[in-house]
Amino acid sequence: MRRSLVPATLVTLFVVAFQLEIFSSLRLAGVVIMLVWLWPLVMGLAGFTALALYVALLGGLLFDTHATTPLGLTALVGLVLAYSASRLGREGIGDLDSAAIWVTPLIGALGGFAAPVLYTIGAFITLNFSIWRGSLLQSVVVNAVAFFFMARPMMRLARAVGTLGERARR
Amino acid sequence: MASERSRRRALTVGVGATVLVVVLYLTGGVLSGVRTAANVVVSPFSWSVNEVARPIGHFLAGAIDYSDVVAQNQRLRYELGRAQQQANEQWSFERQLEQISTQLHVPFIGSLPTVAAQVTALSPTNFAATVDISVGRDNGVLAGMPVVANGGLVGRVISTTPHGATVRLISDTNSSIGVTYGNGSSTLLISGRGVNNGLGATAIPLTTTISPGTVMATDGLEGGLYPPGLPVAKVSKVTLTPGAATYNLVLRPTANLRQLSYLDVVLWEPST
Repeated sequence: MRRSLVPATLVTLFVVAFQLEIFSSLRLAGVVIMLVWLWPLVMGLAGFTALALYVALLGGLLFDTHATTPLGLTALVGLVLAYSASRLGREGIGDLDSAAIWVTPLIGALGGFAAPVLYTIGAFITLNFSIWRGSLLQSVVVNAVAFFFMARPMMRLARAVGTLGERARR
Repeated sequence: MASERSRRRALTVGVGATVLVVVLYLTGGVLSGVRTAANVVVSPFSWSVNEVARPIGHFLAGAIDYSDVVAQNQRLRYELGRAQQQANEQWSFERQLEQISTQLHVPFIGSLPTVAAQVTALSPTNFAATVDISVGRDNGVLAGMPVVANGGLVGRVISTTPHGATVRLISDTNSSIGVTYGNGSSTLLISGRGVNNGLGATAIPLTTTISPGTVMATDGLEGGLYPPGLPVAKVSKVTLTPGAATYNLVLRPTANLRQLSYLDVVLWEPST
């Protein structure tokens, strides 16, 4: 894991930059696609649990410092997604080589569906009751669709980053 | 077994660190420093992404939407001409209103100084409607000042830095605005309903006469957050509350919040 930390950190910083500079303006139906949640999800799905938790925390916190929403909430949702995906990844579910072609996108879509809901629940717990009045339904639908299409290419990137350390060790 | 233990340890450390940061945030401790540090870390990557992606995006958008851009330009020229004509017509009315406002000791919005600002960033999340602007404390902008553009109230400054500020839009779910309508004798509290959902008001008594198209403006009550007379929203739908003898209102902001490029910060501070 240690050998993959540097590439994972660099890619995560680029993911956050993409999120802030491109995806914040490129809205679908007014909704921001949350790349910072998809990245730890696919990293977990690729089977790199510790790395997935690390990128979820790093990316989430860096993103949160640029938003006016509760600090740490995006990171917390990313951690839950990363951990849940890593449980599936450990069983080989979503594996690009062995699983059916639609499995990874479907898990991605489920993650995109669940993430805004988890965020809203988290906001309730941190006493931000007004967030549920926002665009939850649009966020859920758009992120689910976007994650469906982006899950496989992002998973390839995650596998490349995760296996960099292993290759270096050999 | 060992990997299971290390996974749990990593999760515990991650959750613990997040909780720690949330606590620091709630106590208002090192937040400013954390934000600054995060900006320093991310900004080189943002810059490189911008340098590569923006020209490509502009090229594609220009190539695909060229006819739209031309049509939009023509429409904007027409609207600008019309707005200038209306501004000329309104000049004499504003003079009269200013005189009346002075007599009543009410601040008149036309006489309040403003600072022009450019929108530098939109809110990066779906759960907050904010924009970052290019002017800050060095330009006299302070937290609490109202922001106007495109024909109406846009929001309110919530935080400032020496060279920038963050504006919470009126559509944000944390925004509430006291408004008046008609002859100014009735007041309402309207609130934001999220990034894409405009504004709303609930539990309006049936005795109130409001119809679609009614324009709401800030009430300017003493101790309020906004000066009086800023157009806020237009009623787009009036619905009867199910099971209650009250109305619900759906309102559309008078300012186009989706097309914010430049705006004006009104140098007016709420009275405490």
